[in-house]
Amino acid sequence: MELPSFTKEQITKVIVSNAPPSQLFEILSQYESDACLMSAGSGSPETGAGDPEMLCLYYSGFFFAHLLTKQMSKFPIILQVIPEARALTQRIPVTLKHHDPSLQNCLNLLRAIWQNEHGQVYRILRGLPWPDTLKHLVKRYESFFQDQTLIAVSTSYEAIRPAVAAGYLGLDTQAAEKDNQTIIQKFTDCGWTWNPETRLLYPSPITVPPTNSQPPSGIRETMAMLGNR
Amino acid sequence: MASISALVASSAKLQHFADQSSEEYDRQIRDLVTSLHRSLSSNALNFAANDPTLLDVGSASLWNRPENFDPATDAITYLFLLRLQIQTLQETSQEKLPADLLPSRVLWTKCVHYLKKFNPIQVRYVGHEWRQLIELVAQAAQAASKPFLATQLIKDAMLRLDPSCAVFTSTHLLLVRLCLHAKAYTCILPVLNKHICHFPGISERFPPKGAPVLCADHESSLAFITNNSGLSAPLGSRDLSRYFLYGGMVYLALKKWSEASHFLELVMAIPTTGPVSMIMVEAYKKWVLVGLLETGKLRPPPSMIAPNVYKVYQSIARPYINLANTFELRDLNRLNAEIDAARNVWSADNNSGLVAQVLDSFTVHSLVGIKSVFAALTVTELSEQTSSLPRDTDLAESVIASLIMSGSVSATLVHTPGHSEGTMLRFPSAHPSSQLHELQVQGRLARESNTLEALAASVKKSNNDIGLGDEFIDHMHKSKAWNSSGTDYSVAEDETRFDVDEDIMGDQI
Repeated sequence: MELPSFTKEQITKVIVSNAPPSQLFEILSQYESDACLMSAGSGSPETGAGDPEMLCLYYSGFFFAHLLTKQMSKFPIILQVIPEARALTQRIPVTLKHHDPSLQNCLNLLRAIWQNEHGQVYRILRGLPWPDTLKHLVKRYESFFQDQTLIAVSTSYEAIRPAVAAGYLGLDTQAAEKDNQTIIQKFTDCGWTWNPETRLLYPSPITVPPTNSQPPSGIRETMAMLGNR
Repeated sequence: MASISALVASSAKLQHFADQSSEEYDRQIRDLVTSLHRSLSSNALNFAANDPTLLDVGSASLWNRPENFDPATDAITYLFLLRLQIQTLQETSQEKLPADLLPSRVLWTKCVHYLKKFNPIQVRYVGHEWRQLIELVAQAAQAASKPFLATQLIKDAMLRLDPSCAVFTSTHLLLVRLCLHAKAYTCILPVLNKHICHFPGISERFPPKGAPVLCADHESSLAFITNNSGLSAPLGSRDLSRYFLYGGMVYLALKKWSEASHFLELVMAIPTTGPVSMIMVEAYKKWVLVGLLETGKLRPPPSMIAPNVYKVYQSIARPYINLANTFELRDLNRLNAEIDAARNVWSADNNSGLVAQVLDSFTVHSLVGIKSVFAALTVTELSEQTSSLPRDTDLAESVIASLIMSGSVSATLVHTPGHSEGTMLRFPSAHPSSQLHELQVQGRLARESNTLEALAASVKKSNNDIGLGDEFIDHMHKSKAWNSSGTDYSVAEDETRFDVDEDIMGDQI
C-alpha cells in the first residue's frame, strides 16, 4: 500500500492517533528517509533546510514511538529500547537537535530514563513545555512509564515505604509520607497490601507474560518440539 | 532494438513467457539480455539515453503509457535504460557521481523506484548491472553525507533478491558498513540475524546434471549467486572478517552482548596459515571487553580457536588482559588505575566507550560476586563491602534498586519498619533460569529450531559439494582408501552408512 506523502498534516495525524505503539513505530519509520531528505544538506538542494518545525515534530514523535515499542528482550521494556532510541537521536540533524526545545527535552528524557532517575523523568514529562501536537504522545508515554515502573517495583521490593513507592510512580511523596489514604489506595488497588502498624506496603509481584508471535500452546508443544530434535 | 516500440515489444513478449515453463522463460530472458547488450554496444539505444519520461515514476498521466517500463515486470530493460542514462550523464558531466544522481534528484528517484520494485527473478540474469546500481546508490548517499538513505533501500533489495541471505556477498559488507556510518543499527538486523552458510560459487565447478535454470525455484540461493553471476564482487576471507567485525560492532551498539561475542569469535576463529591479521586482533580486544560486560570475567578461549593463535592474541593485547585480570579482583581503585594507565590504548583502538561501560558494570558484577557468599544483608553492610556503591544509604539503595529493576541483578529489597538504615537486600535461592517463563522457553526453542533447520539444509549442500571437490578426492587417493571395488565414498549420498550403532552392548545379548 502506498504511504501518504510526508506532510505536516500526515505526521500530526499519525502522532495524535491512538494507533498501537508497534503500528505507530512502523508508520513513522517509513518516513525517516523523507525526513532525512528534507533536512539540510548537500543532498537536498531543492528542499534546502526543509521545514524545521515539521522535522522536529516528526523526530520527537518517532522518538516517543521508540520508547513505547515493546521488544523481545530479557531487559525491562523501559530500558531495552534505549540503545535504539539513542541511535535515533544520533541520526537527527545536529542543527535541529541543538536548537529545538522539544528535541532537547527528548534528549534529557532519554538520559533520565537511562540513569533510572524516576523523579527527573516525571519532571521532564510534566514540567517542561511540549508542543500541543506532542502532548498526547507525552501523556501516553507517562502512563506507560508509570505502568512499567509499577511492574518493576512490584518485583524488586518485598516491602516498601509509601513515600519511596510514590517517588517511583511520580505521586506526592510528602503526602505518602503521612500515609495519605488516597495514595495508599492506589497501591492496594493493584493488589498490594498495606500494614498500618509497620507503615509499609507489601507489593504483590505483577508479572506480564512475554509477547510471542506463536500462539501460547503450552509446554506440551514445547516438549514435542524437543522430541523432534 | 533501435526504437522504443521494439523495446516495448520485447518486454511484452517476455511477460507472455513469465507464466510458461521455466526453460522457455529462461531462454527468453537470455535472449533479451543478449539483445540489450548488443544494442548498447552498437549505440542502438542512444535514443533512450536522454529521454527523461521513459523511466518516469509517480506521474499518473505518464504511468499508463506503454513505453513506461515497470521494474516489477521489466526489471532487465528498466535496468539497462537506467544505467544508460546514468552513464550518459557521467560522460557529459565528467563526474562519477553527477548532481542528478544525488539524493532527491531525478536519477536518484528512478534508482529508488527500481530498487523498491525490481523483479527478483529477472535480476538473476543481470547481477553485474544490479550490483553496480546498488554500489552507485550507496556512493551517492555517502557523497551527500546521508548514508541512511541507502541503508533501508539496499537492505530491502538484498532481502528481495535472496530472502535467506545465506550466501555471503559484497553487498552484505557494503550494507553493514553503511549502517555503521548511518548509525542505523536496527536496519541491518534482518540481514545480520540470518546465517551465512556459503560463499558465492563454491558449487559452481560441479553443477549437477539437469540443474534447473536460473529463473526456476531453487532450494538454495547458491544456485544463482555464483562467481559469474555478478551479484557479488570477488570476495576473500578478509571481507568475511570485516563483515563479522562490523556486525559485532552493530550488536555492541545495541548492547546485544551475546550476539556480539558470537560475531567477534567468528572473526577470531577465521583459519589462518600466517600471522593473525589486525582485524582478528581488533575482534579479540572487543571480545575481551564484551566478556567483562556480560559475565564480569575473562572468558575461556573459544574451542574453535587454536591455542597458538590464542597466545598470539594475548601477547598483542596485553593491556586488555591486564584490565580483565584487574576487573576480576573487584578492586575499584586498581581498576581505575589500570584504565587510566592505558587510556591512550583504548583511544587508539576506538574502545574508550566500551571500557567506560566496563567500568559502569563494575557494581553489577560486584553484587553478583557478593550474591555467591551472602543470602541477605543490609544496604549499609553492602556499601561497606562494595567500593563502588555510595556511602549514603539512600543513594546506595537507589543504585541497587535501579540495578534490580534493569534486570542486571536478581535480588529483592525489603524496607524494615521505622528506620531507613535497615533496608535489606535479599538474593533469591532459585537459579534464574528456573524462573524463565514457559513462553520464553518456547520462544528460545523455536528460534533454535529455525536455526537448526537453516543450518541442516546448508550442511547437506556443503557435504555434497565437499564430496565432489578436488581436495576430497585427492585426499581419498592419498589415504589409500580408494580401491577398485567400486565402494562409494560420497559424503552426502547416503549419510546413514556412517552411522554408529548406538547400542554398543547389543552384540553381547
